Amino acid sequence: MSLLQVDKLGVTYPGQLQPALHQVSLSLARDELLVALGPSGCGKSTLLGVLAGFIAPSQGRVLFAGQPVTAPGVERAVVFQHDALLPWLNVHDNVAFGLKLQGADALTRERIVADTLRLVGLADVAGKRTWQLSGGMRQRVGIARALASRSQVLLLDEPFGALDAFTREQMQQLLLRVWQQSQRGVFLITHDIEEALFLATELVLMSPGPGRIVQRLRPTFNQRYRAGEDVRAIKSDPEFIALRESLLHSLFRQGHEEAA
Amino acid sequence: MSTSPTTLIAVPDSLDTATPVAPADRRWQPQAAHWAALSIASLLLLWWALTASGLIAPLFLPPPQAVLAKFGELLNGGYMDATLPQHLLASLQRMLLALLAAVVVGIPLGIVIGVFPLARHLLDPVIEFYRPLPPLAYLPLIVIWFGIGEASKVLLIFLAILAPVLIATAHGVASVSQLRQQAALSLGASRWQLLRHVILPGALPEIITGVRIGLGAGWSTLVAAELIAATRGLGFMIQSAAQFLVTDVVVLGIIVIALVAFALELGLRRLQQRLTPWHGQHH
Repeated sequence: MSLLQVDKLGVTYPGQLQPALHQVSLSLARDELLVALGPSGCGKSTLLGVLAGFIAPSQGRVLFAGQPVTAPGVERAVVFQHDALLPWLNVHDNVAFGLKLQGADALTRERIVADTLRLVGLADVAGKRTWQLSGGMRQRVGIARALASRSQVLLLDEPFGALDAFTREQMQQLLLRVWQQSQRGVFLITHDIEEALFLATELVLMSPGPGRIVQRLRPTFNQRYRAGEDVRAIKSDPEFIALRESLLHSLFRQGHEEAA
Repeated sequence: MSTSPTTLIAVPDSLDTATPVAPADRRWQPQAAHWAALSIASLLLLWWALTASGLIAPLFLPPPQAVLAKFGELLNGGYMDATLPQHLLASLQRMLLALLAAVVVGIPLGIVIGVFPLARHLLDPVIEFYRPLPPLAYLPLIVIWFGIGEASKVLLIFLAILAPVLIATAHGVASVSQLRQQAALSLGASRWQLLRHVILPGALPEIITGVRIGLGAGWSTLVAAELIAATRGLGFMIQSAAQFLVTDVVVLGIIVIALVAFALELGLRRLQQRLTPWHGQHH
């Protein structure tokens, strides 16, 4: 059963003629990792904003477990590209923040926080301040914070976009591990084609003017990684490269039609 | 650990552990404090040289040793029926009372202005109307309305401190990261929790900066405030001395105000570093 259901969603910002999103339909199940790939201006951030409940749809609707999404909610936790952590709290307290807001009792909270910190490999730095950490570690804190709250879906807004290539690849592998163990649906937006292909169980390619879905595919590289294949072997596989080039080609073609 | 924020070891972005930075050069390097000491020492030396050479008469600029002698004299003997510590205490009481009132009024009101645009539209003209006015300009009105008692003196200083505290708080609250607020909402924060756990701590560095600037503005109003029928206070002491051309007391008063104001400023800087150590750290 799908957790998040998006039907013919359209968003037009006030004072703009062209819609930011046009006729977007999607569904996300608990065991899926849905990636929206596209260049800047394709509406993927708007889409994430609507799913999170920050932006109201102009047309269509978004349902979570059958109920319309009208506001931010604990079942849909967001992780941003630039960490939105609280620098006056240490790593442990940042991860515990959601549970504290929700009024979870201390015992449950400590158990969940300890488990989550271990899952993302941060148990050793629980007492550190977030501004003492590297960019990659801060993103892990952001993911841990979203996991520790009572979320059922993680909405990731270019979570690795500000990281260097080496750290980004480590974080992609970490995300797959977390996604598999935590039993949550993940919706991720990115403009990195390799990242999208590697992570997605379902991938939608988006294009600007107006923002819409132009292509859907179900890559299998995520499964191959989980079956034990090496990440570099996957990313240098001819099949991976062919798909990457085909997506690049689609993006360029869309760009040309745009210009024409 | 040194108080300079530049000595914190930077954590490399790509690696998860910090690599120790080797000390590059063991030779003695002058620090900010050394340059400051050099600057003050030069000023004192110039002062001494000008007066000792006889270029400037003591009436216009008394020599440092005369001011120092006056300091000893005023500690016990006093000037205008009060010793220097008594003058200082009177001024300090007014300053701290005004500061307390400005913080109690300014921070909550600043939060309201920062959170509600309507409050900003309504109050902004009032604040911007009185803020640039010289305190001496509205001093007569305050005397007419509130008399010549202690309340008027404190009120004048309070008004000077209030504006920077209010503006800094409102700006600090309004510029708290949107992402941080959205992330907190998606973790289940109510409006009150958002204010309490995200907006207020996020605005704290700016609020403290506002208090620092406000305190400076308060000191600069002290002399005007003590024009109002005061019998004690550093501002009063300076004015009375000026009327009788007792220049050494004027200079002494100025130095005492500067030293006390600087000590309070240093205290607030320490408080800021303690309360908001993340401030100035990359984001």
